[in-house]
Amino acid sequence: MKPESLVGLLMVLFLAALFVYVVEDVPAFGDKYSPANRYVKLFSIDAEGLTESLEAGKVPPAIKNEVERIGFNKENNFPTLEEGAYEIERNEEEGGWDLLIAEGELYFKEPLKYYFVKEEDGKLTIYRYNWPVRVLEKAEEETAVINTVTAGLADYRGYDTMFEETVIFSGAVCVILLMRRRGRL
Amino acid sequence: MNPESTGYKRDVIIQTTAKLMVPFILVFGLYVMMGSEGTGGGFQGGCILAAAYILYVTAFGTEKGRVMMPESWNTFFTSLGLYLYDGAGLVAIILSLAAAQFLNYSAIWPLANILGIAEARGYMVAFVVDVGIGITVMAAFVSQFFDLAWKEKEEEKGE
Repeated sequence: MKPESLVGLLMVLFLAALFVYVVEDVPAFGDKYSPANRYVKLFSIDAEGLTESLEAGKVPPAIKNEVERIGFNKENNFPTLEEGAYEIERNEEEGGWDLLIAEGELYFKEPLKYYFVKEEDGKLTIYRYNWPVRVLEKAEEETAVINTVTAGLADYRGYDTMFEETVIFSGAVCVILLMRRRGRL
Repeated sequence: MNPESTGYKRDVIIQTTAKLMVPFILVFGLYVMMGSEGTGGGFQGGCILAAAYILYVTAFGTEKGRVMMPESWNTFFTSLGLYLYDGAGLVAIILSLAAAQFLNYSAIWPLANILGIAEARGYMVAFVVDVGIGITVMAAFVSQFFDLAWKEKEEEKGE
């Protein structure tokens, strides 16, 4: 066997193993609490004395400082947890609190779910909501499109789709240039 | 044009089946393309429309197929879809008097007030942008198919 074909065979086997691992590793299909669909864990701290503050509608300094320390601060263009800039809502369904922040968009001023604080065994775990949550919960209200996929594709990600279309257009133009010779050449 | 030169042969069964299927495929393609309700979107709908056309060409031959969609119309449609999409983006700038960015459909709310339709923005996405994508994809695929399938007169003589 030639060394090139051996390398090729090894690459194919490696890719196959990688795909098997990926299929085993992804969350179950339709799992609405999987990180990709719901939220990503940031950190967890002791709940001592912090729950009352959350119930009263105030983010405890311990949580605020930790969130800013790990990089969700003003320097990185994330909305800060200053007093008055956020709202706290009790989320009975999932056993925690939602932190809603208005991001100051020009045409949509409502506060959006940003962080999620979960209470478990005397510990508070802070999660950050993923973008699909906004699409799932707000797409119809924001874009007036019934289909969530279309709303994401053509509205929130409009530039992406526009240039995808441009790619197909340029493909057609290139085929015309190369194949439609009309006796030239 | 005599059939022997192109290798094209008339087949009653294939032609009748194609004639029956093409309208239904076109309607299904339009349903998929208007992605406001149900499944699909512009890319898939355009592919289905192109598939219906390619089925027609396979059954009836390239000469007859070119009569159904002339080359000038095909080229026109290839760019029309892109113009529709970019036009929707420009309408957002024009209607908001340059306050909104390109493709910011929120600025199309004034249109909703003028027309008296609350879902004008949704219609914009579903019936202008998605249809624009569909038209470009359909025309591009049909154009590529013809460029590959078309045979010049000289080539035919040479074979």
